[in-house]
Amino acid sequence: MASPLPPDEDATRGPPSPASPTASFYDMSDDEEGDYSTIRHSKSGKGVKLLYAKSKVYVHPTPSAKDNIAGYIALMQQKPAANSVSSAPTSPSAGSSSGRRSAETSNLLLAWVPEGSLGDAKSIYTKVELSDSASPPKTTYLVPPPPITTTHSSSLGTYAFAVPLSDIFSILVRPPSTGWWFGSIVINTRAGDSFPALFFHDSECQSTIDQRKKLQRESFSISSSEGGGMFWGGDEVLRWMKRYVTVERSSQEPSVYMVDPNDADKLSFGSGGKPTPDHVRNALEGKHKNEPAQQKKKETGGDAVVKALTQARWTFLEKMSQVTTFTRRTAQAVAENKNIPPQVRRLMANPQVQTVSDEFDSARLYLARWAMGIAEQSERERSQRIWSAKDVLEMEDSEVGQFEILDIDAQGLSLADKRQPVTLKEWNGFFNGNTGRLEKTPDEVKERIFHGGLSADDGARKEAWLFLLGVYDWNSTKEERHAKMNSLRDEYIRLKGAWWERMVDEQGTLEEREWWKEQKMRIEKDVHRTDRHIPLFAGEDIPHPDPDSPFAEAGTNVHLEQMKDMLLTYNEYNRDLGYVQGMSDLLAPIYAVEQDDAVAFWGFVGFMERMERNFLRDQSGMRLQLLTLDHLCQLLDPKLYEHLERLDSTNFFFFFRMLLVWFKREFPFEDILRLYEGLWTDYLSSNFHLFIAMAILEKHRNIIIDHLKGFDEVLKYVNELSGTIDLPSTIVRAESLYRRFQKTVEAIDRKSNFPAAPIVRQRLPQPPTSPTGTRPGADGRPRQASSGSVDRRRPSSSASASASTSGRERTVGDHVAAGIGAEKERVISPELRALLSRDIPKLEKKEVRERGGGVGS
Amino acid sequence: MSSRKKILLKVIILGDSGVGKTSLMNQYVNKKFSASYKATIGADFLTKEVLVDDRLVTMQLWDTAGQERFQSLGVAFYRGADCCVLVYDVNNAKSFDTLDSWRDEFLIQASPMDPESFPFVVLGNKVDVGEDKRVISSKRAQAFCQAKGGIPYFETSAKEAVNVEQAFEVIARNALAQEESQDFNPDFPETIPINIGESNQGCSC
Repeated sequence: MASPLPPDEDATRGPPSPASPTASFYDMSDDEEGDYSTIRHSKSGKGVKLLYAKSKVYVHPTPSAKDNIAGYIALMQQKPAANSVSSAPTSPSAGSSSGRRSAETSNLLLAWVPEGSLGDAKSIYTKVELSDSASPPKTTYLVPPPPITTTHSSSLGTYAFAVPLSDIFSILVRPPSTGWWFGSIVINTRAGDSFPALFFHDSECQSTIDQRKKLQRESFSISSSEGGGMFWGGDEVLRWMKRYVTVERSSQEPSVYMVDPNDADKLSFGSGGKPTPDHVRNALEGKHKNEPAQQKKKETGGDAVVKALTQARWTFLEKMSQVTTFTRRTAQAVAENKNIPPQVRRLMANPQVQTVSDEFDSARLYLARWAMGIAEQSERERSQRIWSAKDVLEMEDSEVGQFEILDIDAQGLSLADKRQPVTLKEWNGFFNGNTGRLEKTPDEVKERIFHGGLSADDGARKEAWLFLLGVYDWNSTKEERHAKMNSLRDEYIRLKGAWWERMVDEQGTLEEREWWKEQKMRIEKDVHRTDRHIPLFAGEDIPHPDPDSPFAEAGTNVHLEQMKDMLLTYNEYNRDLGYVQGMSDLLAPIYAVEQDDAVAFWGFVGFMERMERNFLRDQSGMRLQLLTLDHLCQLLDPKLYEHLERLDSTNFFFFFRMLLVWFKREFPFEDILRLYEGLWTDYLSSNFHLFIAMAILEKHRNIIIDHLKGFDEVLKYVNELSGTIDLPSTIVRAESLYRRFQKTVEAIDRKSNFPAAPIVRQRLPQPPTSPTGTRPGADGRPRQASSGSVDRRRPSSSASASASTSGRERTVGDHVAAGIGAEKERVISPELRALLSRDIPKLEKKEVRERGGGVGS
Repeated sequence: MSSRKKILLKVIILGDSGVGKTSLMNQYVNKKFSASYKATIGADFLTKEVLVDDRLVTMQLWDTAGQERFQSLGVAFYRGADCCVLVYDVNNAKSFDTLDSWRDEFLIQASPMDPESFPFVVLGNKVDVGEDKRVISSKRAQAFCQAKGGIPYFETSAKEAVNVEQAFEVIARNALAQEESQDFNPDFPETIPINIGESNQGCSC
């Protein structure tokens, strides 16, 4: 007579007979259960035993907080299925056999049920939740059985699930450790499925609050037993599970906890088997040796590749024949694999790739990119599954990965809410209903927009952007804004008329006329190649007004014509600078949002005030920003900086494009709107774009350090990041970097406040007086020259200089120590200090006149 | 695989904005044309492996922004160039007029050992547009090239893949010659007289 029940329980309730299931409603495998009575759910005769429950665990089906569904995560025990039990020849004493174990774990269900569906059972859930959670309640609580599922299909429209522990392969755990988001878990099944992410709103959850208090009382600490962060709901769930199954943290992917892993799982996933070319090939081909655990592929594909490539140090690449067959054979498979990121598929389509194996160097670079592409892809898959946690930091293994935990419960509005976009309704609510005057402080509004952005589809941007761009005063009334817009419209028409006359009457000096003609042509060409993939600019439905235009045959559309008018008007409005390439990229988003040429024009004028410095003839503004990025990298990631120095890449020229047009070429158009409005708030720094740049660089630092061997490789690699960067997580990382930077500066300032005042061996950044005189490369030794001048400017570099002379043995910690001001002479450069300012760096009119390169004056 | 020293030829493509630098490069390397390449910002390069007289070489073709103010920052990669391609638009006089200053600027920035013999190639692009729009005649362009010491000249269409292959073959050959002259005989780079392409109809000057 087979029974899955341990002896003590048998003794309590008499030996259950599988032949008569009604004898018990549930399997009782819990060892601590003595005698207890049964409280049945009032309406149903049958039920499952509720062992643990935790409230305020949400599913976030959409980015909007109002769609969040509150529910309970619960561990339940169901009666064993009669069939499976009878077929399992388990003896009562076989408590430790794996047979028992799996029989048992298949009767334990990890479930999520929406609060709204509980009905009367809710009070039972609450009781179980609030009972002393160290062990399951002595009293048996029965609740209606949730539907048991082993796969998740969102098309079913329901989020509730209950999955047997034996079917769980792993749990992806994201603690709320960044301070920016709820902790979350994602359950991955052995079938390779993932359930929707469950978010623990710990500040609303009574049991977590109680448990925190208790921890505090008992150990004066609220840190989680998993080490590191604050205790949170997810810890509790892991604790429940560990009572019944083995839960092992993956060594390769610290956020993954494997449930009852077998040896094969551990080898490839957990304790880290040696990566082999076979392993890499499998990962690259998107297949895995152990097909049943399809799961693993998703979780480990990218990391396995990265790790394999890193650890093997490319030694296997030396066996060129191997690489040759390996790449050729996989090329086709990869090109057709939809799971491979488009970036890599593009690469595969490139005929050059066919010959990749002929060249050791290109193979190396190409594989590095490929590896990162796959890593990106696996990250994207993760973030799709737990989409709203995609801004969780992914920097565990980078040196800037240690972040302080911010108090997530300190502020009234939860940070998750702050990350929701501002809707038109919320925006309108900021203003007085009668006067239309802002009733919050501009900083409050900016903070909201910085973190949440503006809603994309309800027109909130149309209005809000005009404030962010300085067209409207934050303190204005509705009436004042109305009047302002009217006069701006008149002014736009007047300015437009001015160049129109110039065009018709051929006014001005010969030089001016030449310049103007040239500018007109430049604008014409650029507008016809700006964002044409956006439906707004795609059409060619009207004939070109100028039959002599090179685009006369192709045709044009009304929006392109508006773009040209606005840029020509700007060219006239700011004659000291005039139109410069890249400006059309900056105007397009504003026009796309406003879709009114006069309004967009003035928005653009506002934007250009801060962007003027990017377009000066002598490029001094760009130089300054690249130099600042240089300093920032040196401060925040000295190891990466050293590597870039070795590659002659500290000119940071490979970020030129990103800085010139604020990442316009790197992100999809919709992302750009979100990025720009955040940057326009100047909420943390008016130079926050440099932290965005740093966040992008930091993300790829390991690949750069491990695989890239020259300036050209770095440039190519960074250029090809275009279209592959995840914006939300980049913004979060940039903010973290900013905060880290701020703390570092504070620490250094404290150090240098000691009596011996630091000797400020700094010069103000001096833009070159003559364009050729200070050009890097004018003397034929460009990078040496420029890095030399940086050194003189920055005493701090002595630290890295000594590091490079004393060999590579210094640890990262040493660098950080040096960076944080162990040495007294460490001084924050004025370029870096300027990053703490929220004042928009605007140029004086005089500067623009002198260095703009237009025809003004 | 090959025990022979790998040869990398660095080629810089210069010219006014919108003359078709990016398009020419992509036509040559990827055999593709798109009317909607965005204006190049910063710099980028494509590589292509080619056989030149049985020698396998890698060409690294550097594409740059056309507006001249953007050149000042990006000159770092001029260094070590083996050939410079000057591109203009045969339908745009201004783009032809600036060829000379592009050439001068390159020589200043790259400072090759022997500027007199450094290989340039001139491409008159967009010949597909039509004779009625054309403003720079072959004759005029050839005269210019002749005056500059016999620069090879091609008339191309990136759009219709006219003469692109031929032009880059010469570019590769001249770049290789330059590279080797620097290796073995820095004082005597060999210039290879070129007469390929239907548009090289001789010169009247």
